[in-house]
Amino acid sequence: MKRAKEALVLILAGGVGSRLNILVQKRAKPAVPFGGIYRIIDFSLSNVMNSGLKKVGVLTQYKPLSLMNHLGMGDAWDFTGRSRGVTILPPRTGEKESDWYQGTADAVRRNIDFLEANPAGEVVILSGDHIYHMEFDGMIEYHRSKKADVTVGMMVVPKSEIHQFGAGIVDKNDRIIEWEEKPKEPRTNLASMGIYVFDYQYLLNTLIRDRAEIDFGMHILSRAIAEDNVFAYPFYGYWRDVGTIQAYWEANMDVLKKESGISPQKWQIRTNIESKKRLADRAPARFGAACQLKNCMISAGSNIQGSVINSVLAPGVVVEEGAIVKDSILFEDCVVKKGAVVDLAILDKRVHVGEKAIVGFGENYKVVNQLKPSHLYTGITLIGKGAAVPPEQKIGRNCVINTNIIEAAYPGRAIGDGESLFADGEVT
Amino acid sequence: MLKPSTLAMILAGSRVDELNVLTYYRPKSAVPFGGVGRVIDFSLSNLLNSGIEQVALLSQYHSYSLINHIGTGAAWDMIGRYRHVSILPPHLGSEVADWYRGPADAIYKNLDYVHYHCPEEILILSGDHIYKMDYQDLIDYHNEKDADLTIAFTRVPMDEATRFGVALMDDEDGARGGRVVKYWEKPQSPESDWASMTVLCFKPEVLYRALEQNQESDSYHFGRDIIPMLVAQQNCKVYGYKFCGYWGYTRTINEYWQSNMDLLGPKPLIDLEKWVFRTNLEHRHIRDNEPSLMGEDAVVHNSMIYNGCKIGGTVRNSVLFPGVHVKKGAIVENSVIFFSNIIGENCRLNKVVTDVNNSFARNVMIGPEYCTDRTPVTVVGWNNKVPEGVIIGEGATVYPQIPKERWPAILGAGEELR
Repeated sequence: MKRAKEALVLILAGGVGSRLNILVQKRAKPAVPFGGIYRIIDFSLSNVMNSGLKKVGVLTQYKPLSLMNHLGMGDAWDFTGRSRGVTILPPRTGEKESDWYQGTADAVRRNIDFLEANPAGEVVILSGDHIYHMEFDGMIEYHRSKKADVTVGMMVVPKSEIHQFGAGIVDKNDRIIEWEEKPKEPRTNLASMGIYVFDYQYLLNTLIRDRAEIDFGMHILSRAIAEDNVFAYPFYGYWRDVGTIQAYWEANMDVLKKESGISPQKWQIRTNIESKKRLADRAPARFGAACQLKNCMISAGSNIQGSVINSVLAPGVVVEEGAIVKDSILFEDCVVKKGAVVDLAILDKRVHVGEKAIVGFGENYKVVNQLKPSHLYTGITLIGKGAAVPPEQKIGRNCVINTNIIEAAYPGRAIGDGESLFADGEVT
Repeated sequence: MLKPSTLAMILAGSRVDELNVLTYYRPKSAVPFGGVGRVIDFSLSNLLNSGIEQVALLSQYHSYSLINHIGTGAAWDMIGRYRHVSILPPHLGSEVADWYRGPADAIYKNLDYVHYHCPEEILILSGDHIYKMDYQDLIDYHNEKDADLTIAFTRVPMDEATRFGVALMDDEDGARGGRVVKYWEKPQSPESDWASMTVLCFKPEVLYRALEQNQESDSYHFGRDIIPMLVAQQNCKVYGYKFCGYWGYTRTINEYWQSNMDLLGPKPLIDLEKWVFRTNLEHRHIRDNEPSLMGEDAVVHNSMIYNGCKIGGTVRNSVLFPGVHVKKGAIVENSVIFFSNIIGENCRLNKVVTDVNNSFARNVMIGPEYCTDRTPVTVVGWNNKVPEGVIIGEGATVYPQIPKERWPAILGAGEELR
């Protein structure tokens, strides 16, 4: 008997994820930190590990350095051993055409040699940028029992949200009979999670058939549904595409809520804890004599003297006396100096907030970001990696302070709601 | 890189009776410390930070926990061509077939291992102490003096000097050290307050000879036998290296508790980050813990908490290892809570050291309501399920794995539950 373990896994981790704004300025979306110590791709990788699958290819393209560092040898997810392994598959120069990946199916097609070198019964294709917990061995068993050519992981979403997804209409046997990619008018509430199990040979044949079919959702699936056996595998549970700042912030806040159903620890999510920049291990977090905590997540190496409310803190964050951090996400080694306030903000690594500064000032949550109104519209302010906020500086709602901005770049004491600050001091 | 010249040997096998139930199933060097690691991590981190990467560990008492903790040695970078941690348990030979009769005997029985490495210096350490030291500085001093043996000493209060090996040094190098003129092991009326830290740097031939001689005796300790023997030899150059930093020796449960408290406060005496402390995060799957979750009503003051904890109640002046849950209404004060303890609703723990995997059902009270410096520490051995409402007095001792039916409603102050 074939065992689920023998399936080959491909993780699509090449997307730009540009709606995550400055969080993806220096890293690919799957490498964006999440939940204090994790990165988004840890969820897919850990699901693969916990399903007992052993061979993984990770397709990268956009700013892969931080992602490749994070994957390392794959040992964090148990992918070391003679018959185990994680292989990074970057774009390569081809014979003729322009060689960047044109779409999800195109990316897999360009790595057909990797598929051929790793014969398997099935190929599991996943996205590297979702937060969820799923056992793929169950899905593979289902795929086999249905004798399917393709099985698509699908979940029920509110009809109002179906326009963001590939939507499938199924018959009573869960066979998908119609497919709509991002439909304007909802006809179903079954949304594709971007998780596919392909019959190995079927996938090879499909990819060879027509090079113009560059996207799984748009091209490959609709044709397969029309001509072959495609089944929906129902998924019940927590699943989020954290592709927007709003969704990313909400999913982080979900980690704080018991009833949300997300629990990295219970899901046995693993991450790569090695960081080349640090010599010592992180000490336990330190809490001062007057600190106040409410509903928050604190990682090792932090030092909390002030208040932390409804927030997720990565390792090494310092919150000094009298400082307040509320409804925010702070990445590694951020410092919030005495008396400063961080309210409804996401701070990338090593942001330094000076004494008595206010990040997230005022009540104008609805004044959208002028440059990217579709990115920041609920009040969340973003501070880029390594940026400094001068003492007593005020930064409004829906603002973006770009990466590595120094104190001297600030034009005045206040950055207004919806404004963005650039390194040359330009405010837009 | 050329082959390194120093071989370090860590004496990690001892069971110190005073630490009682904490060393019931593990050697003292494997006792948890610092909210994440083990006592031996300090010696290993010191070695790593001193650039000494050939390390052997001598262990015979309940080695399992220690062997698990060391793993491949990768946590301290001790894996590579000339980098390693070898664990040397007692073994059968064609002639000798014996347990280690003492630390000096343990090294003697592994002399073939030592010869194989052809070291230029042999550094012998105890794995039981909490300190940050650059051994290279001691080795440099040892070589400058062309010493046969150099011993690290630190000052202790005179009234405690009876518990240590103490030395009288001449003033040859002032604050750095001097020649050891006299040495007493645990003297009744000490004439010096410089106590041996059990950090010894030997010229190899001197060590070989001394161990050979020592085999004829019936006691096999460095402090009691080897050092006095060498100091007494006219032609033997024994030097003392003076160490002035923090030294936690934790021979009693109260001292162990105090060392833990030294991790706390705005300017802690033990600063793991500054000390470049490393532990094995694979051990007990520490690395897989999510960050700690603080609930709606969590109060945490002057404490240290590693990942994997869930705090619903109050924690003050305490150190919590990964996986500790403090439920609503529970109050934990002045305590050291090892891995994976569950502290039930409305429990109150004051000045308690609780070993791994203990759970406390609702309304358990341990220790006094208010504690002073003189309040004795209560210790709970591992794998205990303390039933609802049990009251345990200060200074009591609970042995590991007490069966359900043996639990009294009240365990008086200073009493033992076996």
